[in-house]
Amino acid sequence: MLAAVCLKEWLKVRWVWLGLLALHLGMLLYLFIAIRHQFRVEHSEMIWYWAFELRRLLYEPIQYLPLVTGVLIAAAQFGPEMLGGRFRLSLHLPLRGDLLVWSWVAFGALMGAVLALLDALALYWIIGRWFPHEAAVSAVRTALPWLLGGWVGYFGATLALLEPAAPRRLVYLGLSAALLALLFQHRGYQEYDQVLPVLVGIALLFIPAVILPAHRYRHRS
Amino acid sequence: MTARLARWSLLLLTVFLLAVWWPLLKDLLFEYRYGKTDLFYSPVLERFVYKELLGEGHQFIYRDQDGTDYDRETFETLIPFIYYKNMELWGRLPLSLAGRSFDKAQIQAERQVLELDPVELPGHAPRIPLFPLFEANPGRARLRFPEDIMRPGERLAFINSDANRLDPELTRRFTAALTEAGFAWPVQDTFGRVSILKAFDAGYFLLDHAGDLFQLRRVDGVPEVTPVPLPEGLAVRHVKVAENKRGEYLGLVLSRDDRLFLLAQDEARRSAAGLIPLALPGYEPDRMALKILFNPLYRTAIYSDQREIKAVAMDKGFEPIASYDRTMAMAEPRLVDRVWEALVPFSLDLRDPNGRYLRLSLDVHGPLALPGIGLALVLAWLLLRQRGLHLPSMLPTLLLVGLTGLYGLIAVALIPPEAPHGAAGADRRLGRAPVPGAANA
Repeated sequence: MLAAVCLKEWLKVRWVWLGLLALHLGMLLYLFIAIRHQFRVEHSEMIWYWAFELRRLLYEPIQYLPLVTGVLIAAAQFGPEMLGGRFRLSLHLPLRGDLLVWSWVAFGALMGAVLALLDALALYWIIGRWFPHEAAVSAVRTALPWLLGGWVGYFGATLALLEPAAPRRLVYLGLSAALLALLFQHRGYQEYDQVLPVLVGIALLFIPAVILPAHRYRHRS
Repeated sequence: MTARLARWSLLLLTVFLLAVWWPLLKDLLFEYRYGKTDLFYSPVLERFVYKELLGEGHQFIYRDQDGTDYDRETFETLIPFIYYKNMELWGRLPLSLAGRSFDKAQIQAERQVLELDPVELPGHAPRIPLFPLFEANPGRARLRFPEDIMRPGERLAFINSDANRLDPELTRRFTAALTEAGFAWPVQDTFGRVSILKAFDAGYFLLDHAGDLFQLRRVDGVPEVTPVPLPEGLAVRHVKVAENKRGEYLGLVLSRDDRLFLLAQDEARRSAAGLIPLALPGYEPDRMALKILFNPLYRTAIYSDQREIKAVAMDKGFEPIASYDRTMAMAEPRLVDRVWEALVPFSLDLRDPNGRYLRLSLDVHGPLALPGIGLALVLAWLLLRQRGLHLPSMLPTLLLVGLTGLYGLIAVALIPPEAPHGAAGADRRLGRAPVPGAANA
């Protein structure tokens, strides 16, 4: 049954996911070219000074990429479900409703995680080409809250899409936006090193939370 | 059950976000512009004087430690070494103080300011542990960045920035020089000032595994290692390097037990020559910003957190001659702060005034918040009653509001309990297993 659920989810998201894969590869290629360009036109030691002492983040162009990814995957998964009452049909499958919802979001989150892993590995490799290993590790650690932004974007969009009542949708969007805004408060590298475990713990609350709109959908309509 | 868990997850999420964002919104609406008190030791009065902003606009006071008020110009004449350019403009130079005369050149030659902010201390800000070691004798007017960077560790590695590769020759040469000087590997910590806009380069101070301190400079491409003599039993926590053309002091050394020392300079060699202890009662480096002002007659250490400011005036031999402390005007609670503390039981502060790391520190308002909690409980009870809940089923929600006050009330108003005729009844009507959870309160 779970295999069938996964297949159905894959069929729903495949084109969006492949498009996102192309977007990620394109943005990472842009980052590679942009940093290469910097090192062609400036002295290498000055760029190192900007990065280490002035705390400029040369990889900031990719900061919202995970967030966009999370929102689009959620839209691909749950947008069609919410059209024409198809979601009601899905809830009639012979599987506990909460497990069903969790299996959907697990699939979506996994699809997002694959792209997040690609981002992290590519960022390490790109920064490591022009900077010492310490800077590459620092870049990945700095990008971790942005990757968490993908998770929050995915679950925030999922909550809003599954929710049947418009005012409550706004509440979910507001909560997600407020949590997202906490993840983009950096003024330099690795400033989230200490607070990130707490924010991850808070973001994990979305896993049980995602059941509520499905519950409300089923018992209201 | 899972629907109830889902709702409670959202309630907790809402309370958390309100506790973080509301204080920021309050600060945005009721901004706090009172700066810290400017405190000085007046060589004219031989007493402390200060300038303080009392409220909005330009409500400055200029006062001495006995409460005598001055106008701005008189105040500036009380600290003429600070405002020596105004003194010159007003025709008051040369100054006659303590039986001596001081002209502009003398004042300039003896002025120096050393500062140490909590954010500079190790552990208060993230740091990529790579350091450019400048050529101390560049043979030109200004220092320039080297094309390699120093990586302190099990050895002193150098990485070429053009090739992003290890430079084996530099690594071998500098590691050998430190080893020959008795350096115990690995490097425990590295302190220095990365800037080309300084009078000269004092290099880096490297703390070895045994707790000994070494100064390392690159002079004509060759390593120059100088062991820094430390007092018996001193464990170094931080070295603030502040190269200054005065050439008397290289900076400050902070010990792990919060004692502060001046780092004396061998002017001829621009290397460290020993430590001078400073007696600074009540100095807490993790939360107090420190300034040491040098003038031709006195040295004054001024240190403050967000509440209190303290100062010790010393003679030129660093013997204390007077001290003073006061609660700053900015620490006086405002009406909006009192109302805030009564409204909400706690807040979560994201920014640390003493560091670059983001954090979530809990500020509990204690019994002051009881009025807000009481109001929130009454409103929550009315809200829940309106939704048809009886007292026993309200209790968990009321407990949340009791603990979190208005935050909890807003969370409950945004995500109220589902109607009691919810899941289970509907499931029974539809003849299916309860999915995904039952009605929740």
